[in-house]
Amino acid sequence: MALVNWLKRHLVVIAGLLTLGYLLLPNVVVTVFSFNKPKGRFNYAWQQFSTDAWKDPCGVSDLCGSLSVSLQIAFWATLGATALGTLIAFALVRYRFRARGAVNSLIFLPMAMPEVVMAASLLTLFLNMGAQLGFWTILIAHIMFCLSFVVTAVKARVMSMDPRLEQAAQDLYAGPVQTFVRVTLPIAAPGIAAGALLAFALSFDDFIITNFNAGSTVTFPMFVWGSAQRGTPVQINVIGTAMFLVAVLLVLASMVVGNRRNRQKA
Amino acid sequence: MATLTEAPPPPTPTAPEKKPPRRRGRFTPYWLLLPGILWLLVFFALPMIYQASTSVQTGSLEEGYKVTWHFVTYWDALSGYWPQFLRSVAYAAAATVLCLLLGYPLAYLIAFRAGRWRNLIMILVIAPFFTSFLIRTLAWKTILADGGPVVGALNTLHVLDVTNWLGWTAGDRVLATPLAVVCGLTYNFLPFMILPLYTSLERIDGRLHEAAGDLYAKPWVTFRKVTFPLSMPGVVSGTLLTFIPAAGDYVNADLLGSTDTRMIGNVIQTQFLRILDYPTAAALSFILMAAILIMVTFYIRRSGTEDLV
Amino acid sequence: MTTVTNKNTEGSGDVRLSGIGKTYGSFTAVHPLDLTVPQGSFFALLGASGCGKTTTLRMIAGLEEPTSGTVHLGDQEVTRLPPYKRPVNTVFQSYALFPHLDIFENVAFGLRRRGIKSVKKQVEEMLDLVQLGEQARKKPHQLSGGQQQRVAVARALINHPKVLLLDEPLGALDLKLRRQMQLELKRIQTEVGITFIHVTHDQEEAMTMADTVAVMNAGRVEQLGSPTDLYENPDTTFVANFLGTSNLIEAEVDSRSGDEIVLKAGGGKLVLPEARCSAPTTTGGKVLVGVRPEKITLTHADEAGEIPAGRNRITGKIADSSFIGVSTQYVIDSPVCPEFEVYAQNIDRDARLVPGADVVLHWNPAHTFGLDAAMDIDAGTEEEAAV
Repeated sequence: MALVNWLKRHLVVIAGLLTLGYLLLPNVVVTVFSFNKPKGRFNYAWQQFSTDAWKDPCGVSDLCGSLSVSLQIAFWATLGATALGTLIAFALVRYRFRARGAVNSLIFLPMAMPEVVMAASLLTLFLNMGAQLGFWTILIAHIMFCLSFVVTAVKARVMSMDPRLEQAAQDLYAGPVQTFVRVTLPIAAPGIAAGALLAFALSFDDFIITNFNAGSTVTFPMFVWGSAQRGTPVQINVIGTAMFLVAVLLVLASMVVGNRRNRQKA
Repeated sequence: MATLTEAPPPPTPTAPEKKPPRRRGRFTPYWLLLPGILWLLVFFALPMIYQASTSVQTGSLEEGYKVTWHFVTYWDALSGYWPQFLRSVAYAAAATVLCLLLGYPLAYLIAFRAGRWRNLIMILVIAPFFTSFLIRTLAWKTILADGGPVVGALNTLHVLDVTNWLGWTAGDRVLATPLAVVCGLTYNFLPFMILPLYTSLERIDGRLHEAAGDLYAKPWVTFRKVTFPLSMPGVVSGTLLTFIPAAGDYVNADLLGSTDTRMIGNVIQTQFLRILDYPTAAALSFILMAAILIMVTFYIRRSGTEDLV
Repeated sequence: MTTVTNKNTEGSGDVRLSGIGKTYGSFTAVHPLDLTVPQGSFFALLGASGCGKTTTLRMIAGLEEPTSGTVHLGDQEVTRLPPYKRPVNTVFQSYALFPHLDIFENVAFGLRRRGIKSVKKQVEEMLDLVQLGEQARKKPHQLSGGQQQRVAVARALINHPKVLLLDEPLGALDLKLRRQMQLELKRIQTEVGITFIHVTHDQEEAMTMADTVAVMNAGRVEQLGSPTDLYENPDTTFVANFLGTSNLIEAEVDSRSGDEIVLKAGGGKLVLPEARCSAPTTTGGKVLVGVRPEKITLTHADEAGEIPAGRNRITGKIADSSFIGVSTQYVIDSPVCPEFEVYAQNIDRDARLVPGADVVLHWNPAHTFGLDAAMDIDAGTEEEAAV
């Protein structure tokens, strides 16, 4: 009876943790199999423990090249989408203008559109224009679909910002440019950073739109896709695990630093 | 008092001889919008028009294409690929429901029960994003491998007998069946369900739960009458963020499925990138877009939440 | 440094508003008004929310562009100057301290924007003035409400503005702290000698702090004067009711004797000094007679005979009484006025003065004031005078 009661009380916790397990299981598998030494071309069944792949992560031809392409595209796409998206977010929050509804719809639609539709239609455009598919077409596509997410993230932050702060800056002899640089931007920074981070993650991990518009350029997700047909090198798991660890460590480190700073000041 | 967030309406010109210097230019918002909106118009809206035009063209790669208002393409596309359309909607709907059922407890746990573990669990929900989703999807091939522990357990528990009877699995396999595809879709889009759910749950004032309890509501009643209705915005945006990409996805069907589980995304991809039948591919893509927009509009109207942006 | 000059020559620092008004579309926030705030004074704009007081303040600050009229600071016209070019600083409602800067940098902000390099000494002095020297390196959210408020004042004052504008500066503080800060602000003002223009909805705050109070209602200044003047001689029913409490009785002009007017109200007679009546008085015409609750003496009906002659008197029955420490507040049901309020100091309490008792209310006729009967007798009562 006590057990039943305990279960009843913690049902939601148990269910939640099971879901968390479901979410993390593939990462566990990816990590474990980064130490595998597969017999054939595919790394799907456990054979024996080995650290070969960790010692030589770039040992497969084109893998690190594709990683570098992805990082470059993600960097520039983040920069472009963050700049354009931040401007739009400010315009939407701070000004009243005509066509506001239309602009809002144009921002919302890319988020409500299956990727394959955007991918296919963009390819139609590029084919019609006779554009050379490659790095630049991928970059254009990435900025396009990251833009809406940046706008949403920055908008949320700017909307919650007290307009009196900017008025106070103006009252204290800061002209429009000074006000923006000294007050608006620093306060909006967390929102802009969140938007940029999201853009980077989306761009780096995008496969569908990239696959349509890449031509012969190979990004990291495309390399993984290709290897799923030809044979999956263990190095893929190494890179996946490394990225997961780096992400978790970065977040944990920033949290520790943030906590310590707060404690010092309090 | 006038709201301070918006620039006040332009004052009526009572002193026309002295025009006030406008601190906030009338055109400033348009300049701010210009680059980004132009980008979206050229690389999002214009392609849609090109695609619509391509879908009614005829011709061949060698001789070029011309607009001939060949609407038959749509009919052919629909009659040829309606099973894939139906399958996409069915798989995406199943994945969305599963995401909601699995995601809600976790979002609730993070919002109300996690205490000091809250940040850690949040990180664990988001961090897998940084391992390419293709790698993680491939991991499911290992997890659901034939003769592996998962399939073995399902077999022992006679779950496979049931799913076989339902047509979700075939024989002793899970891989290359609808179950595997739905499982992959659910896994891939679960965070998109959890995050909006968490956001709207976190906004709920904890005192509402106490108030409901004080007013004689048992926990389950509190959930049904207070928590769940208040989390509706999260449920709506979560289901949309899951359903839309799932319906257009072809990665899971390709990696975890078989030729019998092909979704509409697979067809569009093949038509576009392998067969190079652009009009048919464009028509299929256009139908998918229209179907999704209609469903989404209807759904948003029904659920009464329109501020998703 | 070009925009801010700190001349302290007599009379050159007056704030002059001429015909200044503000409309938003069809809504008039401020009707064109003229107002002069003498240099060095502590001036309060008092009114309920939405009366246009904040809009007026923001037009002086340059945060709102007036639809009509001009703003002068001394000899300089600043009507079209943007806020960052005006020698005026503001203490914002809920302070608007920059959350990303520490206290020192918040206070130094204005100096730095004007290109002043060595700010350390000035900032430290200013922080000492507001007793926050220890907190210089904290972030705003680490301070209490009262401390934040003082930072906001320091941040504005350090620029030696010609005028300091305060927009409900104490609104976010609890009652006790608010009292303390009222005195503190008054002290600082006396010390630095800068003109303060203070916007508030709290009549007690305005009367405690300001030399001159302008009572605003629906975009207009109802009356302007010293706190005592406004309280003792209200010009309108709004001022009479908004500042403290007034008992207003509708009466008919009966006759005149010398500089006194004799009025009829509910069968009895009341005397009103002519000098204290702002309304036209023709025999047979109506006026509103007002008297403040604390001016009235309450006598049990059995001892009505002991009341000295020459006092205004009204009979009634106690409807309710509440003991609040220093005084007891009575509500009297009287034929001339259904809810007559009387505040009696608790010196010698008459045990017979309980609800139901018949009483006579009497007061010195000199404490009576007269208002135009055409005005709304309830104006200014419903608003919350103090939150």
